[in-house]
Amino acid sequence: MNDDTPTTNENEAPLEAKYGLPREVKFCTRCVISNQRPNSTAEFRHTKDSKKETIHFDAEGVCDACRFVEEKAAIDWDARKAELVELCNRYRRTDGRYDCIVPGSGGKDSFYASHVLRYEFGMNPLTVTWAPHIYTEWGWRNFERWIHSGFDNYLMTPNGRAHRILTRAAVENLLHPFQPFIIGQKSIAAKMSVLFDIPLVFYGENEAEYGNPLKDNKTALRADKFHTAENSLDGISLGGVSGRELVGAYGLSEADLQPYMPAQPEALQRVGTAVHYLGYYLKWHPQGCYYYARDHGGFEPSPERTPGTYSKYNSIDDRIDDFHYYTTFIKFGIGRATYDAAQEVRSGDIERDEAVALVKRYDGEFPTRFADEIFAYLSLPPEEFPEASRHFSEPIMTRETFDALVDTFRSPHLWRQTENGWQLRHTVFDGD
Amino acid sequence: MAYPRIIARLDIKAPNLIKGVHLEGLRKLGDPRPFVERYYAEAVDEIVYIDSVASLYERNTITDLVEATARHVFVPMTVGGGVRSVEDARQLLRAGADKVAVNTAALKNPELIDGISRGFGSQCMVLSIQAKRNGNDWEAYMDFGREHSGRSVIDWAREGAGRGAGEILLTSVDRDGTEQGFDLELIRAVTDAVGIPVIASGGFGKPDDAVQALRDGGASACAIAKALHYNKVSIRQVKDRLRDAGIATRTPVPA
Repeated sequence: MNDDTPTTNENEAPLEAKYGLPREVKFCTRCVISNQRPNSTAEFRHTKDSKKETIHFDAEGVCDACRFVEEKAAIDWDARKAELVELCNRYRRTDGRYDCIVPGSGGKDSFYASHVLRYEFGMNPLTVTWAPHIYTEWGWRNFERWIHSGFDNYLMTPNGRAHRILTRAAVENLLHPFQPFIIGQKSIAAKMSVLFDIPLVFYGENEAEYGNPLKDNKTALRADKFHTAENSLDGISLGGVSGRELVGAYGLSEADLQPYMPAQPEALQRVGTAVHYLGYYLKWHPQGCYYYARDHGGFEPSPERTPGTYSKYNSIDDRIDDFHYYTTFIKFGIGRATYDAAQEVRSGDIERDEAVALVKRYDGEFPTRFADEIFAYLSLPPEEFPEASRHFSEPIMTRETFDALVDTFRSPHLWRQTENGWQLRHTVFDGD
Repeated sequence: MAYPRIIARLDIKAPNLIKGVHLEGLRKLGDPRPFVERYYAEAVDEIVYIDSVASLYERNTITDLVEATARHVFVPMTVGGGVRSVEDARQLLRAGADKVAVNTAALKNPELIDGISRGFGSQCMVLSIQAKRNGNDWEAYMDFGREHSGRSVIDWAREGAGRGAGEILLTSVDRDGTEQGFDLELIRAVTDAVGIPVIASGGFGKPDDAVQALRDGGASACAIAKALHYNKVSIRQVKDRLRDAGIATRTPVPA
């Protein structure tokens, strides 16, 4: 069977695959990720009609992220560390100014990155944070612990009104509640680099550790596409709506959109901004970062497993995050447990059969714990948002309107409606 | 009066010994058997095995290890994790366990405590409680510290004792894996509430912590995991410290 001609049980016409996803669903034979996983990409141009590039599987049915694990094992990490020392020596400042920027939330990964750079490599990092939509209590406490472990921090909190409008648009048009955060988080460090004239920026692990193309992992440098683009209202989309339309018809001003604008290429060139992945130089192990942050800063995991998964230690600071992974489950058939378990299999922390059991038990669970708060956040009452609310047939978000919206994002090649509700056609635990 | 006991606690995810922090980020430490042999040689008083993922995955994976251990480790062995029925308990006891520890299934079905206690005797029925601080109270957790039960630890301990639990294995989720010392207030609160022995677990970092749990907390036993697994302390050091503090222990430490 080739990718273009899947058959259905009824031998009818091929089922539609939304978002440019591969029609035939496959699961990696080593981890549990499916070939439906979209690559991380620049969000500035994401619209309803965007086609996804997805994770590559080779002839043996192994995903690129698992192949990278093999490459990782062969890397001479001492040599890489020496490269990092050399890089730090080149950028280190001794006049009291910051010499590198580490963006992050104060989660385990940014804690680790900034802490080793400061205390092991003798750098003077400025940490910068793009605020979550709504902090969890434990996320906020971890953020404060991070700062108290010895870092200056700039916390950028976007205007809540604009952020709500953009988040609602992103849900309505793209079923992507996390998009406004991703946009801000991916460009803030580059923009702060320009603002403070600090050329060296460190992100944590490369997107390719999770399945972006393998070749992306050959370099320490992050591609510009993630944080810079044409800086004009016509050049970008937010929440699937063009900047021009947002300003014209959603009651937003150009000033409201400034925080979401990508860094200007000329400015980056002037400062000489270089965005590096620390994961290129230091072997990244998410569980190891958890231990490190716990031991050096008292980092606390969440007080319960995150809905849709078993884990308590990663991506726990934004209350909307539960919905982010719920929506990836709807759009791609990949929920939070799949992402978590795939990562832990690759890291050697769990085995594939455990991963399969975890996916079976938790993937796609509806995140009730913050649902009321998130629905209120996503609601745009006409009296408060007279212009923006007009673009939504149901400005007030409820469980019913959310469920109805969600159903329009289910791709026929992934989902079937049964008398017991919607069911995935292919799962890693049914052996397809 | 029974002697206070020092217990080696081994969380298992077959085939490995594992250890987490706050019952999370479970790290594989390898084959549990050499660890147990070391603790036995050091005159540990008891062994506790907890199948850390049995509830999570709804499967039991520990029976082989229990059988292997029973053949040459002759101190009491408590086994828990994934015990969902009287029959599950029977199988573990048959495999060589001396006691079974029950957490998740008991919270979901408290009558399981009565059943195991009636079937095999209360000395067999260890109520395992994973306690996480919540304001001035503690909540009992299920599924290896991942799931709320909504039950207050103190009420639950009382109910468990009333239903025939012979002992409580009291694990502080907040202290587990941190080596920052036991949650003494928690231990005190539970030992004050029930008349049955309480095993303090979660947070041991140095021999003096054992003194505090036994003397100040009123615990009958101390469970140690990480500090033993990572070879930061020996049973002898703990027992020496207890002796210096005037607390006698039963098992002599080999010369």
